[in-house]
Amino acid sequence: MKKRGLTGRKQQAFYGILYILPSFVIILMFSIIPIILAIYFSFTKYDMYSPAEFIGLQNYEGVFKSSTFYSALWNTLKYVIVTVPVQTLLALLIAVFIADKMRGLYGALLKSTIFIPVIVSNIAAAAVWKVMLKTRGGIINNFLGLFGIGEVNWLGTKALAFLCICLVTIWKNVGYYMVIYYAGVMGIPKEQQEAALMDGASPAQRFWHVTVPNLRPITYMIVTLGIISSFQIFDIVYQLTGGGPGTSTITLAYMVYTYAFSNQKLGYASAIAVILLLFVLAIHWLQDKVFKER
Amino acid sequence: METARKKISPMGIIGTVLVSLFALICVAPLIYMLLMSFTQLRSLYIRWDEVTFNLRNYYTIIFKNDFGRSLLNSIIVTVLACVWTDLVCAMAAYGFEKKPVPGKEKLFKIFLATMMVPSQVTLIPLFLTMRKIGWLNSYAALFVPMAGAFGVFMIRQFMKGVDDVYIEAAQIDGCPEYKIFFKIILPLIQPALVSLTIFTFVACWNSFLWPLVANTENSMYTFTVALSLLNSQHDTNYGLSMAAATVSFAIPFALYITMQKQFIEGIALGGVKG
Repeated sequence: MKKRGLTGRKQQAFYGILYILPSFVIILMFSIIPIILAIYFSFTKYDMYSPAEFIGLQNYEGVFKSSTFYSALWNTLKYVIVTVPVQTLLALLIAVFIADKMRGLYGALLKSTIFIPVIVSNIAAAAVWKVMLKTRGGIINNFLGLFGIGEVNWLGTKALAFLCICLVTIWKNVGYYMVIYYAGVMGIPKEQQEAALMDGASPAQRFWHVTVPNLRPITYMIVTLGIISSFQIFDIVYQLTGGGPGTSTITLAYMVYTYAFSNQKLGYASAIAVILLLFVLAIHWLQDKVFKER
Repeated sequence: METARKKISPMGIIGTVLVSLFALICVAPLIYMLLMSFTQLRSLYIRWDEVTFNLRNYYTIIFKNDFGRSLLNSIIVTVLACVWTDLVCAMAAYGFEKKPVPGKEKLFKIFLATMMVPSQVTLIPLFLTMRKIGWLNSYAALFVPMAGAFGVFMIRQFMKGVDDVYIEAAQIDGCPEYKIFFKIILPLIQPALVSLTIFTFVACWNSFLWPLVANTENSMYTFTVALSLLNSQHDTNYGLSMAAATVSFAIPFALYITMQKQFIEGIALGGVKG
């Protein structure tokens, strides 16, 4: 009996390996090996047609001397700093307000409506906003014209183009985080809200002392997700501004793409990709540390 | 509690107006897109009295300029990605959760770690790998890599709630292994499969960077890539471009309308962006 059990267990383990195998092969081939290769390529000179040639740290030296890299790095950081707090705060306020004051049908309708931009592709979103933001005849300038504001060159002015990238991102993201926050608010024990009400707490006090602390784990998650997805911004930049005017909206991810597939500098682009990876890993590490301390 | 809240406060009114306004901002661009899609405008000076509403742009998109082909490509790739991801991830999740595989937790940690890696990092080697195995400009290049660690993680979370009793009972009855998976496990984890299908559908339909790099032949473009190219032409037909954007949006939107509850629940529970 015991022996049979053992072979049965071995057989089960064998089945288990068979079940895991396809996904293991996919992740190994298309994720793990590419990561290792990306790190290797970052130390080589490689133009896709002749074989990769090892050149040590030259790509990294080149990257750290390039002013375009610093623009891209600075833009990416600036973009994270602008989009993440704004979209998180908006999502939080809307979720709390709908959960608190609009439990009816109208609230449900608003919730569904605010989620809609989430399912629009970045490319379609950028295409629509690009038409709306046109200097001559764009609907936004037409609208502003009603108030006597002259034609604004949204995508042709450095600071404004950057702002537009942020706005489209926020427009697309709020609904997603709002849905997560909403589920979180609904999960707060009713007794806590009622106790606060009994103590005569004002709505603002209840928000700061009951709602916000209860949502802290969700906020960590949302902020981390937001930072990481903002770090990788590519589509909206590609479609809306192409990195311009000048280098005012170029980002790290956009730089990886253009250096690899327009300039054929695969080694150099890999070095930027590895730097991007280090940033993302650092954020995960930080978030992990903060989480454990709480 | 309910009665206490029914009082109308000025704050409540201001809040309602602001949230309503925000909801309007969320849909206004999409309504604008829809209206523009019925026009034939090459200049943006819209004179609504000159706009004739017709479906000519939609006719062009479906029947002309390789658009129809790219639409078909996207549909095929998305459907394949959904089926493939569900199958591969459900199998792996079952193996990880219910089978005594030695070292599985260590392997699972490695799987999870791959989720942290930005797609731009693997982009170049992935492209070179696909070139080597001759998968560039194919459907396989687009859908096979979609079955990643996220799906395995998501289904495994759900699989933890599946009682081993079902599996043991089937084993005692002498039910063959493949039948246990297809006839017992898959039906039991159906809600998780629905969530994963929704995630995969939207992620695959909307994905851009990888299809842009992997499929560079006109006949193998996905719809999102075709839409992007249409917009970068100098002589843009705004009506046509907005019609393409509308089609690109309409398909995930139809899914959202029909499966709204599962959509929202999947995100609220999973909470991880695909």
